[in-house]
Amino acid sequence: MLILNYQRMSTEDGPGLRTTLFVKGCPLKCRWCHNPESISPKPQIEWLAVRCIGCGTCVGVCPNKALSATEKGILIDRDICLACATCVEECPTGALEQKGKRVTVDQAYTELVKDEAYFGKEGGVTLSGGEITMQSQEACELLRKLKSRGIGTALDTCGLTTKENFDLLFPYVDVFLYDVKIYDSEKHKEFTGVGNEVILQNFDYIAEKVKGTDKKIWVRTPIIPGATDSDDNIRAIARFIKGKYDRWDMCAFNNLCRDKYDRLYQDWFYSKTELMTSERMDELVRIATDEGLTEVYRSGATRLPKRSE
Amino acid sequence: MPQHDDAIKQPKNLSPRVQWLRDYFFQGTNRAWNNENNVFTTGDKWDRCYDELTYYIVPETKSFFQPFTTGYVAAGKILPGEAVAKDFYKRSIVERKALYEKEVIVNQMPKEILPGDLLCGARFNAIYSMGLNKKESKEREKLIQKTRKEAVFLIEHGYGNAGATSGHLVPDYAKIVRSGFKAVYEDLQSKYNALSEADKNGKKGAQLRAMMTACEIPRDLAAKYREECLKRAAEEKDEKRKKELEVMAANLAVVPWNGAQDFYQAIQALWLTHMLVMFDEKYPGPGVSFGRIDQYLLPYYEKSVSDGMDRDFMKEILGCFWVHCNTAYDAQIRVGANQGITAGFGQLFNLSGMGKGGVDMTNDLTYLLLDVIDDMSPILEPKPNVRLHKNTPEKLLDRVVDMVSTSQGAPFLLDFDERSMAGMMREAKKAGVSDLINEDNVCEYVSVGCLENTMPGNDRSGTVDVNVNLLKAMELTYGNGKDFMPFFDPMSGKWSEQVQVSEQTGTLAELDTFDKFYAAVKKQLQYVIKRMVKHYDNTESIRAKFNPTPYLSLLVNGCAEKAKDITEGGAQLGFVTIEGVTFATTVDSLLAVKYLVYDKKICSLEELVNALKADWKGYEKLQAQAQNRAPKYGRDDDQADALAKDFMEFWADETWKYKTTDTDRRFRPGMLSWNYWIGSGYILKASADGRNENKFLSNAICPSNGADINGPTSNSNSVGKALGGKAEKGDYGQYLNCLPNGASHTITFNTSVVKDPTHKEKFKSFLRGYIENGGTALQINILDPSVLRDAQAHPSEYRHLLVRVTGYNAYFTSIGRELQNEIIAREDHKGF
Repeated sequence: MLILNYQRMSTEDGPGLRTTLFVKGCPLKCRWCHNPESISPKPQIEWLAVRCIGCGTCVGVCPNKALSATEKGILIDRDICLACATCVEECPTGALEQKGKRVTVDQAYTELVKDEAYFGKEGGVTLSGGEITMQSQEACELLRKLKSRGIGTALDTCGLTTKENFDLLFPYVDVFLYDVKIYDSEKHKEFTGVGNEVILQNFDYIAEKVKGTDKKIWVRTPIIPGATDSDDNIRAIARFIKGKYDRWDMCAFNNLCRDKYDRLYQDWFYSKTELMTSERMDELVRIATDEGLTEVYRSGATRLPKRSE
Repeated sequence: MPQHDDAIKQPKNLSPRVQWLRDYFFQGTNRAWNNENNVFTTGDKWDRCYDELTYYIVPETKSFFQPFTTGYVAAGKILPGEAVAKDFYKRSIVERKALYEKEVIVNQMPKEILPGDLLCGARFNAIYSMGLNKKESKEREKLIQKTRKEAVFLIEHGYGNAGATSGHLVPDYAKIVRSGFKAVYEDLQSKYNALSEADKNGKKGAQLRAMMTACEIPRDLAAKYREECLKRAAEEKDEKRKKELEVMAANLAVVPWNGAQDFYQAIQALWLTHMLVMFDEKYPGPGVSFGRIDQYLLPYYEKSVSDGMDRDFMKEILGCFWVHCNTAYDAQIRVGANQGITAGFGQLFNLSGMGKGGVDMTNDLTYLLLDVIDDMSPILEPKPNVRLHKNTPEKLLDRVVDMVSTSQGAPFLLDFDERSMAGMMREAKKAGVSDLINEDNVCEYVSVGCLENTMPGNDRSGTVDVNVNLLKAMELTYGNGKDFMPFFDPMSGKWSEQVQVSEQTGTLAELDTFDKFYAAVKKQLQYVIKRMVKHYDNTESIRAKFNPTPYLSLLVNGCAEKAKDITEGGAQLGFVTIEGVTFATTVDSLLAVKYLVYDKKICSLEELVNALKADWKGYEKLQAQAQNRAPKYGRDDDQADALAKDFMEFWADETWKYKTTDTDRRFRPGMLSWNYWIGSGYILKASADGRNENKFLSNAICPSNGADINGPTSNSNSVGKALGGKAEKGDYGQYLNCLPNGASHTITFNTSVVKDPTHKEKFKSFLRGYIENGGTALQINILDPSVLRDAQAHPSEYRHLLVRVTGYNAYFTSIGRELQNEIIAREDHKGF
């Protein structure tokens, strides 16, 4: 499997206390993506200025001469870098990090069960992205092993995959964390690079399969200024998911990933965007409840009343 | 930064009476009344009042050992021995002690009652004559000069500190509340009468006579306070207060001489009995602890409830009790910063926990006491520990998590029964005391001081009496049995000589495998422990001979039976705890040596030691590799944790080899670092884990600062594994624990973990998991914005600090400054 990291004691990826496995590679390219390093299905190298002591070891060891020491710090020529991670191995401080690591299902399993004692009745393991269904065979094997140990499972998906993949994973998933971002397909394509027909069809497909089982669907909608935060969009999603979900989380846009884009030498469309206001988040929840929906929650930081430093 | 009142926990729901008393206490030196030390000397020039042995474990006082010794004598009020008893110097030392202290507290010290106070027993801090004659005093002085020299050497050379210290036990208060001192007196009398004439005239007789004298102190003192109540009641114009004073007088007519009849009397008995222990030991509050008060006070609580006593009135009585406990700090009110309120004295009590067979013992009184804790906090004393276990009810856990979420540091520590009891069972096996600690009664374990586990009423385990810097063994290994670098003595302005203190365990070149290196470290550690034990043993012998505490001996089972003072080893259970300090720094240093020198061959051992001698200057890359590339304890890394466990077992086993010479107390292991991990950080040299000189060492069993990059659960798993983990057949159930004393573990959490009911449920899961996988005791801190500011300034020490916002997580130090500022602003608002 190509993974990014394990997040232990996670409180935000489903019910209870969880360990979340983040994997790399995603079929969407959301303009607001909070984890841009998760999009590419290949390993990437990142340099963290705060940890660097400027010893220059990395520049010397790179077999492809992809690194150079500049006034701004270590520069990675991404056209040349093969992400062989020699520099990562040799860096004395951990300032160079490899985003994307190959592990076997057994290795992932060993790590994921370490916190079994803390999961309790509600919690368990969440497989998250990138997009986990892009590694459906491994995910299936991993989920099967977890389930057979009695560990609760959740699958965090963008929904863009085949029905076969969902069929494969379905028996081993307790909670689907299903992203519904934009109801209008054209707008969806504008902001994520892909239309949403398959995503919505898959949603209905899963919702149908879940009926009569103990499995749950938690819908998640990132609330992004100018993209997903319109009354119309929220109302349309509300009407679409009505009667087909167990919980709906509206996750307010956050800007903490700004530096992640810098580290990948990418510009971020939202780098100057302000956070949502608390009032607006409340309004959006109200739109949903006015449509007769229950179990609607908002989360995430909102704009501070007054900036203070 | 805007200041928000709700950011800092404030006391609440206090009655005007308790609010006034609490506010009054915090006025400190501005108070008209205080409980500062009263000093009494016989006036003889050889007289000694101050016992420095008790302060050897407070290294920062080392320059005051001599000035205090002579200073107190010079400053004291003169009360000659002959004024106490005509034949004073013809009596044994222990009888002199009892007679002198009785005169001081009953007749010399003032009896005062603060406005509105519901409890009697105000002044108890005193430094008074040991009552030694000239010959005894000289003999003691000679011995003290030697131990002082060694104490100072051990502190200044980074070995640690040790000395026979007072407190740190749970006296059998339950017995006094139940049947009063009268029953104790009668028991002593019958034991005395049963002695042979020879024994009566000998040591045993003297001890029992002294204890009988001491047993009269609470009776006579209660009578004095009763008179004071009646006098004040007669003068009182306010009818309500008059009535209160009359009830207080009536209570004192019963307790503590007789058993208590209701809740109010029980608390009055408890307080007077307790304060006299601190008086007897001449050292306020060092871990003199109350035990399971929600268990042994329950019958009195229930009786008063059925008599119609109002819950609010009970809270008022307890509020007064809280304030009384804090007056212990007045001893040095005019010395030092913050009006003497400088450190935790550790008058601890336990709440909840399991009973026999694993049943939960939480009751109404538990919740009443939690309410009082919540209402009174923040306040330093008394210190509650809430005991959790598999069958802890949801209601209690809810209350605990609620209280955690509204304070910066939880107003209590959490004890974890299964792991703690496993340690006590290990102790029973190691020391052969299964008759006194076994499956049937191990659930009655209690904690003293901060978290140190002992049995109640019959156990002095000498916790915090010996504090060993485990890291010193590595220094001696680098130096082949000498200090590998000289130590500077600021007093003389000289550098120490590097002499061969222990055996040669190999030159650096000879230590050519990690196994050889590790074996050498273990040998040097044996030496370090042995030397510390010997020093402690000398202080213990001096205390046993010259500094009895006959009053405390009344409250510790075994002393009357053996007719032996507690300082002579009279307690049924006698241990001396060696607290291992610098555990993670040492384990991480071993891991770094293994990684850098033997596994990756990045440098030779000589080069590494040269780097340490240079405090890493010129070796920055190697230091970075030590800090960042070498494995660390605290990450749930099985290989690193296996070394941690092996090292833990080794040093723990080493402690059991020793016994005190004169008092028959066996040494046992524990891990509480008090503040030594800070102070010793300025003495010990740079360490192989990448730590510079003058930086803090690791605290107790906690991973090194910044090492636990995988979060609280992995941190806790590592701690549990280091203690022994679990096995099919453990010490208790499946639990293993090689530290009977237990181990201090602190974790700091982000505010967001307890931000709403859903997250509180998740946090409860964490605690339930900790019961399974974690250590013996946990202090929970909730992230303070000041920590974040410190993290901005010192990013390398906060690599582990995770910031989590929905759908996104990152290490705080890896995000930009502007965003960091925003997060800090949010923490100030509690805004996530």
